[in-house]
Amino acid sequence: MPASNLLLSSSPHAFAPATTRKVMLAVIIALLPATGYGIYLYGLPALILVIATVAASVASELLFRAAIKAPRSVGDLSAIVTGLLLALILPPSTPLWMAVLGAVFSIVVAKEFFGGLGANPFNPALIGRAFLLMSFPAAITTWHKPLQGIVDAATTATPLNLVKQGASLADVAAQLGQGDVGGLYWQLFLGNRSGSLGESSILLVTIGGLFLLGLGVIQWIVPVAVLGTTALFSWALGMDPLFSLLSGGVVFGALFMATDYSTSPLTPLGKALYGAGIGLLIAVIRKFGGFPEGVTYAILVMNMLSPFLDKLRVKKYGYVAPKKPAKAAAPAKEAAK
Amino acid sequence: MAVKSFKGGAHPPERKDRTSGLPIEYLRGAKSVVIPVNQHFGAPLQPLVKVGDQVKRGQKIADAEGRMTVPVHASIAGVVKKIEPRTQSNNVDGPCIVVEADGSDGVDFLAPLDGFACTKDEALARIREAGIVGMGGAGFPAHVKLAPSKPIAMVIANGAECEPYLTIDERVMIERPGDLVEGVALTMRIVGAPKGVIAVEENKAHAVAGLEKAVAEKGRGLDIEVQLLKTKYPQGGEKMLISAVTGKEVPSGGLPMDVGCVVQNIGTLVAMVEAFREGKPLVERGLTISGAACASPKNVVVPIGTLISDLVAEGKIEVNEADLGRVIFGGPMMGTAVPHYAIPVQKNSSGVLLVSKKEAEHYVEHSCIRCGRCMRACSCRLSPALLNQALLAGDWEDAEKIGLLDCVECGTCSYVCPARIQLVQRFRVGKQLLRAKKQKEAQNACK
Repeated sequence: MPASNLLLSSSPHAFAPATTRKVMLAVIIALLPATGYGIYLYGLPALILVIATVAASVASELLFRAAIKAPRSVGDLSAIVTGLLLALILPPSTPLWMAVLGAVFSIVVAKEFFGGLGANPFNPALIGRAFLLMSFPAAITTWHKPLQGIVDAATTATPLNLVKQGASLADVAAQLGQGDVGGLYWQLFLGNRSGSLGESSILLVTIGGLFLLGLGVIQWIVPVAVLGTTALFSWALGMDPLFSLLSGGVVFGALFMATDYSTSPLTPLGKALYGAGIGLLIAVIRKFGGFPEGVTYAILVMNMLSPFLDKLRVKKYGYVAPKKPAKAAAPAKEAAK
Repeated sequence: MAVKSFKGGAHPPERKDRTSGLPIEYLRGAKSVVIPVNQHFGAPLQPLVKVGDQVKRGQKIADAEGRMTVPVHASIAGVVKKIEPRTQSNNVDGPCIVVEADGSDGVDFLAPLDGFACTKDEALARIREAGIVGMGGAGFPAHVKLAPSKPIAMVIANGAECEPYLTIDERVMIERPGDLVEGVALTMRIVGAPKGVIAVEENKAHAVAGLEKAVAEKGRGLDIEVQLLKTKYPQGGEKMLISAVTGKEVPSGGLPMDVGCVVQNIGTLVAMVEAFREGKPLVERGLTISGAACASPKNVVVPIGTLISDLVAEGKIEVNEADLGRVIFGGPMMGTAVPHYAIPVQKNSSGVLLVSKKEAEHYVEHSCIRCGRCMRACSCRLSPALLNQALLAGDWEDAEKIGLLDCVECGTCSYVCPARIQLVQRFRVGKQLLRAKKQKEAQNACK
């Protein structure tokens, strides 16, 4: 009897081709157009910044897990994703040592301290950026004009900075060498403006996002909720909704940060409220906050609510709300469970 | 025809092309059979024969009193050699009656009975006496299912066959549409249902024309229609099938009859027809034998109790031994992996898969990345990722609230999980533990 070498296990005996590694690889591929454009805009320093954060992320995960004698996990590629995301949301002029420090903080404090991949409550890359922004506010709010190299003479304000300082959209258009607001929109869409390394080209970021949507790696609910409510509340608070979407990191955040698996809710209703909350906070921070941009903090705040939003589960198959005496009037609440 | 379906599910590679075009082979010449005494869902049976007894094909060899019992019959004529525990297809040792052929051709069938003319009680008694159980996997006694305590509006013939590899139901629909339609008509008559639906997944759309023709010829003028369903796993799950066909959902903890439905497996319907027309008990069944390590995939009908190892030894099934990684009774999504193949085909064996080493790859569990694939795939719209979390944390209250006891164990969550987390496996164990816990609490409450 050819018995001994047969594998025994509980069903199912078949598995879909998707693995954690392939999912992470898809995210890396989706980020490449935006990364490439950032390197085109800011040259070699941008490339070195990307390499430094990725290397620091991978190395710190390897070392930390070795130190606590946990199984090695860099093979899942998630550290590369975190490092890459961090580089893309930093100013291209960020000093290397600072970027490396941010990456180490992202991986060790924001991710591994909580148990590693999937267990972190806050988006590691955003925590890394928030940490750097608090520690080194000047360096993380220094912006350079694209295509002029990282030199002191090329420092400038981002379009959002200009608006925060009271400039009209026509002024911003003039700053960017555009005659009218329509031209400004177009230039912002294509991405030739100052800002974080990888956030500026709405076109390329969207292409990456659509790639992930097409593969089913991310779902549409969160990005649509974030972008929709950002536009809605920007308009409600007297800001130009289209400018709000095209400037800063809203689109990048909506597609790549807010959709982070570990830190966003799992249920459809949870996702919708989470996205809407982010959009609302972005508009509020931009209008009333001390910073011109609010994507980082908006997402981090909503990360906090994810576990609670997960309680808003869909109705189970065949579930009928238990019949209660007529006086009880809470069937709607029950049905959501 | 509008193609219907349910929410959720997944679409594993079908791998049905290896056998879908092959006519059923009737391999009735077994030299010995190992017939498990208990092949149904319900109370255990007692053997009615002893070692040395001569038995005829169709003779009742095990039975018991009680509603949830279904007798077992000798599937070949011969002599009882042993009555001893053997490994069954559910991987548990159970009492089996070993019969060796002695060259006699004795047949001991029941008398033919007109299922449309006899009383309902006579019909139900016949179904029980013929040993009919649900042949799709659960082995639920058919005479119990066909005596529902609620009015039935619709009989659904389950031609979804959503498990990869399996094609035996497809072959029956193509080769014996008349018997299938008669089975539907018979079931409608017994449960008093005004409507019958033969539900077929789209990948078997080529069977529809034959079925519709058979409905016209053999349908006795009854309201029977053929309904196409989207090809998706687990479309053939009873609950999913009902919601696809009727748009209604079986209430949590309820039965199909609660929404006026009775669902019958294709093989069961044909076996029922034979039990009336020929008086033939359930002594043989069709199944698909396939898998990448099977060099001769085929659809066969064999006597109940036929050992797969005998089919191999007789050269009827060719196995690529060097490449054999896993043997599965049933389909790859819900079937049982068994330790060897000296295991008998029983009433609920829909297929045997000889899986290659590559397909049988064993995976290590990684941590949950919360991607949500299981949430979207769950055919019962539970929240597998959150359920897993609750179980790992030992939070039984939350697990029950999320719907642990509603899980139908289709395994779609584990199939789609990129971290290869043993979701359904954990839920299976969890269900048992939670039921035991509740039972204990109920006992304590009584004291």
